[in-house]
Parts: sequence; C-alpha cells; structure tokens
Amino acid sequence: MIIPLRYNLRSLFVRRATTAATAIGIALVVFVLSSALMLSEGVRRTLGSAGKADVAIVLRKGSSAELESGVEDPQVALVKAMPGVRRAGAEPAGSGEVVVVIALEKLGASGVTNVGVRGVLEAAFTLRPDVRVVAGRRAAPGADEAMVGIRLRGRMKGLDLGQSFELKKNRPVQVVGVFDDGGSAHESEVWVDREVLRSSFGREGSVSSVRVRLDSPASFEAFRANVEQDKRLGLMAQRETAYYEKQSEGTSLFISVLGSLVAFFFSLGAMIGAMNTMYASIANRQREIGTMRALGFSRTSILFCFLVEAVLLSLAGGALGAVLSLAMGSVRFSMINFASFSEVVFRFEPTPQILAVSLVVSMAMGVLGGFLPAVRAARTSPLAAMRG
Amino acid sequence: MTTNVDRTAEVLIRIRGVTKDYARGGEVVKVLEALDLDVNRGSFEALMGPSGSGKTTLLNLIAGLDSPTSGTIEIDGQRIDRMGEGALAKWRSNHVGFIFQSYNLMPVLTAVENVELPLLLTPVRASERRKRAETALRVVGLADRMSHYPRQLSGGQEQRVAIARAIVIDPVLLVADEPTGDLDRQSADDVLTLLDRLCKEMGKTILMVTHDPAAADRASLTHHLDKGRFRA
Ligand SMILES: Nc1ncnc2c1ncn2[C@@H]1O[C@H](COP(=O)(O)OP(=O)(O)OP(=O)(O)O)[C@@H](O)[C@H]1O
Ligand SMILES: [Mg+2]
Repeated sequence: MIIPLRYNLRSLFVRRATTAATAIGIALVVFVLSSALMLSEGVRRTLGSAGKADVAIVLRKGSSAELESGVEDPQVALVKAMPGVRRAGAEPAGSGEVVVVIALEKLGASGVTNVGVRGVLEAAFTLRPDVRVVAGRRAAPGADEAMVGIRLRGRMKGLDLGQSFELKKNRPVQVVGVFDDGGSAHESEVWVDREVLRSSFGREGSVSSVRVRLDSPASFEAFRANVEQDKRLGLMAQRETAYYEKQSEGTSLFISVLGSLVAFFFSLGAMIGAMNTMYASIANRQREIGTMRALGFSRTSILFCFLVEAVLLSLAGGALGAVLSLAMGSVRFSMINFASFSEVVFRFEPTPQILAVSLVVSMAMGVLGGFLPAVRAARTSPLAAMRG
Repeated sequence: MTTNVDRTAEVLIRIRGVTKDYARGGEVVKVLEALDLDVNRGSFEALMGPSGSGKTTLLNLIAGLDSPTSGTIEIDGQRIDRMGEGALAKWRSNHVGFIFQSYNLMPVLTAVENVELPLLLTPVRASERRKRAETALRVVGLADRMSHYPRQLSGGQEQRVAIARAIVIDPVLLVADEPTGDLDRQSADDVLTLLDRLCKEMGKTILMVTHDPAAADRASLTHHLDKGRFRA
C-alpha cells in the first residue's frame, strides 16, 4: 500500500537544484534556532554553575544582584556568627566580597566594555574549591595585583599575564595570574585583593555580599530564618545555586525567546519555500500521480507519499542546519549579562535535546509546508493518467 | 499467470444503456449516449472513431477510472458502475492492467521497479514481487533491461515495460488507449504482436482504442464510435 521511499528520494534527487535551495532555507532556520538554544544553554551553564548547594549568599534586602547590594562590616561578622554556618576551627567559613564594574577597552574590536571586578580575601578560595590558578600566581594580599578569569584573558586591553590595567584612574594594577573555575561566570571576572579594591573605590567599611558555607545544604532554611528575622539587619539570604539560577534566567530566556522568534519568522519563509517546491514538483508530476491512482493507489497513500517527500526534504535541511550549528560549539560569544552589567563570555553548548528539537522542528516544517501540496496530490484524479 | 481456458463464448464485459454527460460551463454535454456493448472473455477488440467521439471516455468507464451518468457496467460478473471511489481503486488494482499512449512509467524508478509497483497493492511479499516483475519483463522480451531507467529505453521498450507492469498482477482485462500512438511502425508492430500473444497465449481480454487501421486489423473485432454512439 505504501509507495516506496526510493521513489521520493530519487524524485528529490532528480530535482536536486530546487531540493537543495529549499533544504538550505530550512537549514538556516534550524541553524538559527539551535544556535540560540545552544547559547541559551551556555548562559545557563556558565552562570548557573557558579553556585554551590551548601553555600548561602547574603545581600541587602531588595537587591537582585551583588552589584546593587551593600552590607556593613559589623553585619558581616554577625552573619558569619549565625548558627548553621560551618566552622573550620574557631573561624567561621565565610567571605565578604566587593563587586564593582569597570570599563576596559576591548581588544580586536573598538569600544569599551564593562568588566566585573571582585575584591576577595583568602576565604573566597576556601568557598570555591574549583578555582585553579592556570598561569602565574594569586594576587598577593594588599598588593596592587590582579588575577583574571580565563575567559577574559586577552580579550581586553591589559588583561593578560604581565600586563596592567587601571582599576581606577591612576591606579594601575598588574595581572599576575590567570584562573579557571570549571566554566563558571567567575571566569569572566577580575579578582583583586579586597582591601585594594575598597580603598581605591572608597568603599571601606562595607562589602557587596557575604557568602557562608553551611553545615549542610539542609541547614539553609534555619540560617535564612535567622538572617531575615532581625529586621534591623535588613538582609536576605539565598542559596548560592538559586541566586545564580536567577542571574541566568533573564539572559538565558531572552536569548532563547529572541532566537526562537527569529527562527519562527525565518521558518515561515522556509515553509512557504518548501510548500512552493512541493506544489511545483507535484504540478510537474500530474501524470505520474494520475498513473499511480489508476494503478489503484488510494488517496491516502498518495497523501502520505508526498508528506513523506516533504519531510525527507526538510529533514535533509534540518540535518544540515544542525551540523552547521554544531560548528558553533567552538565559538565563544561575549555579551553583557543583564544581571551584573558586565561582560560575560559564553560558549554555545550543544546538547542531545537541542539536536532533537532541531530535527523535530524541521520535520514539523516539512509536515506543515507539505500538507497542502500533498492534499492537492491526493486529489489528483486517476483520469490525469490519460491526459497528455 | 493463468493459461487460456476455453471460455470464448463467455461475456466478460457487459454494458447496458451507458450514458456519460459532462457539465461544461453550465451546459450539459452528452459524450456517450445509451451504449450497449458485450466483450467476450479472451478476445482482443479495438475501438475506433473520430477524435472527440468518446473512445477514451468509454475506455475509462470500462477500466473503472470514472463512473457513468447512467446505465450499468458489469465486468467479470461484478457491477462497477455504482462503486465508490475507494472500492473502484481497489477493484482496478486487482482486475485491470493499463497501457497508456505515453507509457506513463515513473521516470525515477527502474524498469523492474516500475513493474513491481502494482504488486505493492497486493499481499505479495517483497522477494516474490521482484520474481514476478522479472518474469513479466521476460515475457515482454526485456530480461536484459531490468535495471534501466525509462530514459535509457527506446519508446517501444518503454511501452513493453508498461505492458509488463499491466500484466504483472494477472488482470482479467487489459485496456490500452492508443498504445502505438507514439511509436514508429516497427515498434508499433512489436507491441501489437505482443498484445496478440498475451490474448492468445495467456487468455487476456484486451480492449484497445486506436486511430490506426493497421492496428485495428490485429484485433478480432472493431467497434466504431461516432458522437457517442456505436456505428452499425
Ligand atoms: N472531463 C471532461 N469534461 C468535459 N468534457 C470532457 C471531459 N472529458 C472528455 N470530454 C469531452 O468528451 C468528448 C469525448 O472525449 P474523449 O476523450 O472520450 O474523445 P476521444 O474519442 O478519446 O478523442 P481522441 O481520439 O482525440 O482521443 C470530447 O468532446 C471531450 O471534449
Ligand atoms: Mg482519446
């Protein structure tokens, strides 16, 4: 009952110029869509992976990011002393950090961009065991030295080993090391000694955020209740994982929505292209189709046959688009993260799901674009076999 | 394939009072008017007549491609004039072999794949399909052209592939609309000889529309249509 697949495959091959043109249109859609999804996934992984389940971050109440938040030094001590915070010997495991944004000149492109600078003490490293120095060394406490995240290295003027940049006007800082952190957003930051940062920005006496390591992830609720109970503190606590998820949400959503929208409008064009191709090809095959009807093939099998042909066509395009987008896997993409107003470098992260979505979308385009032409084919009268 | 059994006197096609009207721009055109016709099983008959006399229309009705406006068509004991479209398609796939003026092979399929096509509508298994298609191609003398595409064949060879496709389901009836219309004399003669053999050796009933008196001469009986009626 089913017309063999090779009939469709060869029919597509015989019309290879139009087949290729149509498939390329579909490939473009799939390329845009899957690249956007890969980038969105990259954002989610980069921003999301900075968080640890047993770490809590404390910010000024009402602030959505470290950059907007301020916590006075005495409050830092209070937070660190709260029950539920793990102790290494006598000292509670906590890190008060300052985050600022500075403008630096881009390399290889004109203009300046925002770079996030984090002022840290030794405790920052204890809380983030994944941070590794991959070149040079850590900045010495109290020295005008900096470590740059590996993703920023060499992307801005002065941000490479041995170079220096201006933390503030007339306050040059030398880059003495490069670090990585398992792909997290910290890799797009510059780390300097906290006191150096505070003195150069006149921020003595306060920090942006306090991070503490909890006894266990389960201790968080009790810790939060304690922090937020004291209204005079005016602080709030979040799990670090939740904080970074929220940071990535907006950007990641924005990219997938924007990418999907662009892909959607492209897909209208590609679908109309596929529809036209199928219409033309069916019009050229009236006698062939009429002959199949005369031989006894039902309307349903003709409909199915041409739907399959449209789907084969769009799958070819989809596969091409998916392969092209996989090539994006090696591309780094830098953009301003909305939450921190600083430039973060992302990768396109291919996942099996994204590949599956791409192929399903291209199949859907084939079915949608091919349906009306297939209906027309199915309505071909067997008498068409007799006509010239 | 069945061999000829002596049933020459038996009527295979029985047509009574068949009329076909076409509506054209609000006007009704009577293409066939109250036709009666009997065709015996195993006979090779020709249908002649001027252009527009309704030959193709009548052949289409007999082949179950279209339905008459009124009248009855009985083939091999089965009334096909009131069958619905789906039932007709199924009936065609089991009972009728088609031979067209322009061969109507699928250009993207090889000779043997073209011949296999009608077998896809039957429960015959894939390996058996291929065997039957090869046998049919051998019958039409194209054993050495199995994997050629239609464009690699001459017109006469294409028409013989089409004949193989028509006989592969072992139909009771072969219909041919000007099967030699696009062929040179020699190829036309070959095709007519082949049709004659199919009739004599395999007992196929053949109904052929033709403009060519030489072709009609090969048939055992010729019916003349004129303006939708048979001429006495
Ligand atoms: N679908 C249709 N709608 C309207 N009129 C039709 C239709 N099909 C055939 N006719 C008309 O019916 C008449 C008979 O047509 P038919 O094709 O049967 O003639 P024919 O004898 O086969 O002619 P020819 O020798 O040229 O092939 C013609 O006048 C034709 O215009
Ligand atoms: Mg005709």
